[in-house]
Amino acid sequence: MAYPYAAVSEPIVEMSGVDFAYGQRLVLKHISMTVARGTIVGLIGPNGGGKTTLVNLLLGLLTPTRGTVRLCGMPPSAAVRRGDVVGSLPQTPRTPKGFPISVRQLVRLGLVGKLGLLGRETADDLKRVEWLLEKVGIEELADVPIGSLSGGELQRAHIARALAAQPHVLLLDEPTTGIDRVGQDQFIQFLADLKQSLSLTVILVSHDLRTVAAVCDRLACLNVTLHYHDVPGNMPGELAREMFGVDLPEFRLEKMAR
Amino acid sequence: MMVQAVAILGDSSAGLDMLRAATASASVGVAGAVLSVFVVLRRWAYLGDGIAHAGFGGIGTAVLLSIAFPSLNNGPAIYLIATVFSLATALAVASISRRRAVSGDAAIGIFVAATLAWGFIAFGIHAHLGRGGPGGWEDYLLGSARGMSSAAAALAVALSAGIVLTVLALHRQIVLYCFDPELAQVTGVPVGLVHYLLILLVALVIIVGMRLSGNLLVPALLVLPGAAGLRVSRSMRVVMAVAIVASVAATVGGTAISRRWEFIAPGPAMVGVLFLEFLAAHFAGGRAKSQYD
Repeated sequence: MAYPYAAVSEPIVEMSGVDFAYGQRLVLKHISMTVARGTIVGLIGPNGGGKTTLVNLLLGLLTPTRGTVRLCGMPPSAAVRRGDVVGSLPQTPRTPKGFPISVRQLVRLGLVGKLGLLGRETADDLKRVEWLLEKVGIEELADVPIGSLSGGELQRAHIARALAAQPHVLLLDEPTTGIDRVGQDQFIQFLADLKQSLSLTVILVSHDLRTVAAVCDRLACLNVTLHYHDVPGNMPGELAREMFGVDLPEFRLEKMAR
Repeated sequence: MMVQAVAILGDSSAGLDMLRAATASASVGVAGAVLSVFVVLRRWAYLGDGIAHAGFGGIGTAVLLSIAFPSLNNGPAIYLIATVFSLATALAVASISRRRAVSGDAAIGIFVAATLAWGFIAFGIHAHLGRGGPGGWEDYLLGSARGMSSAAAALAVALSAGIVLTVLALHRQIVLYCFDPELAQVTGVPVGLVHYLLILLVALVIIVGMRLSGNLLVPALLVLPGAAGLRVSRSMRVVMAVAIVASVAATVGGTAISRRWEFIAPGPAMVGVLFLEFLAAHFAGGRAKSQYD
């Protein structure tokens, strides 16, 4: 089983001159950014810098005050309605503990938008779900109720769910929040493996520079405006210190040791 | 009771009456059980109360209208007006909670209070004008297991079947919506449609069940079976099966109890059985979970 969009190189996300304001408060100002297929972009910035707002614009949950957003050439709301353009892992996925579904059923829920109102899963869809369960390393838990999973296992199940419809782009909003250092390292390794084996396009939102720089091809540094959008190696040390309070050399050494 | 039931069935007219009531009860029981699982998961337990009590305002309206239009002073007309009132309230609650103008539970609380108040005012005016209290209103409040026409029973079965088939057809969307509405939206589910449809289906169960178990207690059909099922299992199929069995046993059992002991109305009898079933599920579920963990 292969992931289908590896060979195409056109931009999948295009934002042009985007402003967004909650009432009078401008949260995002003049954001222009493109994301090419097959790249992992780390969207970083301090708390309150507008990262989640940007994700919500990409998901069509918010509409820009000014400017345009396109996903695969479509407005985000139209792209999301298709069900196979965007896969997303929300910042805090609401996972009711006693909800009576198994891990496999949770992953299959990722297909619902693509199927349309009265559609049914094809044999290929179901095969892909099994493949994803194996890919994220939770195939042995497939029949377990979701309420029995640990935080890290649940996160993997949600990533498999987000990938079930073979989306063109995966949006991960603060995926390492609430996970301990060991869990964070496992997640970084897991995402690096996925990147290699699936050639995924990913937008990874985090305020944790360590996680982001470990797997990302490009960094987008956001604090109301876009301060930087380039490969991680070119990021000025002052910017990292100013925005995150870390010394870049120390951080780069940590990445090399990985 | 069994002997009594056989004796009743032996009398063909009483037997047919019982059969109609039992068939209608069982079908409403199945539809209510299927929806109750989603009502509990979506934390809409209070929604049924809101819609059912709106029917009380509808009855008050019908009673007042019957002063000007005496032809409306009959069971079907009053039931129809209560139905329109309940559906309008369901749509109003759905719309207000969807727009988040106020929270869902506040929207329901507002309509429960307003429609109950209007019902009592209307009854007061009716009595003040020397017309006395409305006839047979206890049946509306607590239900009636007698005198159901074949057409009414057939309508109950058809509506219940329609509700179950709709849920079956859209179960993927409904499950994802109940799991997390925002996740459903970003997965591509038309959540507005699912939201209104689910509330409309709840309203239909209330309307159909109101005739049998009464305005006051019909919301229990939309909470207790699902709550019992969810205590027992974390598998959707098992939860649904337990809810359906519990609900049918309670609706048919309640109807039979009410026919055997006429001083007990069917609504309270059904809820009594449901509550005992819930207690059993609660204790059985507690044991099963402690073994599981």
